[in-house]
Amino acid sequence: MTQLLDYVLGGIGSGAIIALMALALVLTWRATRVVNFAQVGQAMFTTFIALSIQTLTGNWFVALIGAIIAGAILGVIVQYLVLRPVKRMDTSGAIIATFGVLIALQAAAGMIWGGDSQAFPQPFGNTALTVFGREWPLSAYDLVVIGFAAVMVVALTLLFTRTSLGLAMRATAFNPEVARLSGVRVGRTLTIGWALAGVVGGVAGVLVAPTSAISPNSFDILLVFAFTAAVIGGLDSLIGAVALGIGTGLVLSVVSGYSDSSNAPVAALVLLALNLAIKPEGIFGHNKARSV
Amino acid sequence: MPGSETSPLVELTDIRIKLSGLQILDGVSISVPQGKVTGLIGPNGAGKTTVFNVISGFLKPDSGRVDFEGRALKRIRAHRLTKMGISRTLQGVGLFGSLSALDNVMIGGSAQVRSGLLSQSLAMPWTDIETERLRVRALAALAELGIEDQAARLPSELPYPIQKKVALARALVSDPKVLLLDEPAGGIGAPDMAELGRLIRSWVPERTVLLVEHHMELVMSVCDLIWVLDAGKVIASGTPDEVRNNPAVLAAYLGEEGAA
Repeated sequence: MTQLLDYVLGGIGSGAIIALMALALVLTWRATRVVNFAQVGQAMFTTFIALSIQTLTGNWFVALIGAIIAGAILGVIVQYLVLRPVKRMDTSGAIIATFGVLIALQAAAGMIWGGDSQAFPQPFGNTALTVFGREWPLSAYDLVVIGFAAVMVVALTLLFTRTSLGLAMRATAFNPEVARLSGVRVGRTLTIGWALAGVVGGVAGVLVAPTSAISPNSFDILLVFAFTAAVIGGLDSLIGAVALGIGTGLVLSVVSGYSDSSNAPVAALVLLALNLAIKPEGIFGHNKARSV
Repeated sequence: MPGSETSPLVELTDIRIKLSGLQILDGVSISVPQGKVTGLIGPNGAGKTTVFNVISGFLKPDSGRVDFEGRALKRIRAHRLTKMGISRTLQGVGLFGSLSALDNVMIGGSAQVRSGLLSQSLAMPWTDIETERLRVRALAALAELGIEDQAARLPSELPYPIQKKVALARALVSDPKVLLLDEPAGGIGAPDMAELGRLIRSWVPERTVLLVEHHMELVMSVCDLIWVLDAGKVIASGTPDEVRNNPAVLAAYLGEEGAA
């Protein structure tokens, strides 16, 4: 029982990272009805930029801010230059285009920073915390990661529920034509959605890099986990992305603990298959018909 | 020219549109006098909603011009309409199903929120103040229609006539100069229609209304001026009495035999 508790607690940190990346996928889905498979590529690219800033300045927070700015800019560039023109033609083309962007970003990162894994400096202690005389499977860094995830979720929730920009984003996600007629600048709102997703993905990248190093392909597996969490969460739901992101992290930690970490991707795909068979609209998804 | 005693707020001149080889509008010229209720009627496929789509910027005419407040609208951008003072409702209700009634109405006034993108993204305090002002205006619009107690409900939880009122409140919240109402009486019963008629009359002369509607009783009771379209052309215009007795209108609605 104690071992199970340790595995569960050990999955919270990685679950928070998966939750952030799932959140990024949900943001782009809500904005444009496109699953952005380039999201991890954008996160990887901005994390490399953050690594360069970290190397130059030696300051992790400056590197994080750099990743946030770069993530937003890259999100805007991908949405404006690639997605917008392609989506005018058809949505499936847009999804394929995001794969193209992923490959292009990975190739560009390889050319700029090389193809080998590079260590990202650890900003906080990564040793297990000892509380009440017991060593827990959580480090100070895990707590920082969880804290960042919580702050981003609260900030996004406030943005979506308390500001007219958030209202415009929710309306645009539901029906862009009616939103436009009601005075919403739909194109700009979609671009902001992608910029926000770029920020969230960039933060996820910088948070995960110190625990796993970084290479052009190092975040690929994160896409599998985040996509699983986003789909099971309902793809439309911020709360679903967060809850299932953390949940996926816990399940994967338990699976890795009792068997082997190489089984984690298989476990994620089993979860995804079960979800599609039992509740394809996702746990928090509504999938109601829209009436106009 | 009907309605020439007051200056036109909206004026369409010789509008022509061809879609998929069909001439949808064929030289349509319509003026909407300020402070009046103007009706736009005609059989199905006459081009009424197309006229709304032209004014709203959803369709670009092949030729012709649209004037608003005496100035030509060269390139109409749909998202700028509410800022210009033009609000439109849709056939059906067109509500956002995932937003509450209040949020649906707030969207109609969101273009008038002046705080910048960055300050909203960062949820700065002054954006709270502006959003709160918008919330108060939206509640007032719901109250004007007597449905403020439904503010927190989702559209799917509301009866159809109330949904129609929410859509009307969304059009009203931006305090428009002209309201384009596309079949506002569609799907509602007689008592609600009578109330709708009183409501529309209460908006003039402060506001101008252009109404597309199939319910002739409502059109004849609320309109000061009526334009009649058939097969993309204006076939008649005038007061309700003039239109009611116009042989061309009777022919369009009833066929040549019926008119005879």
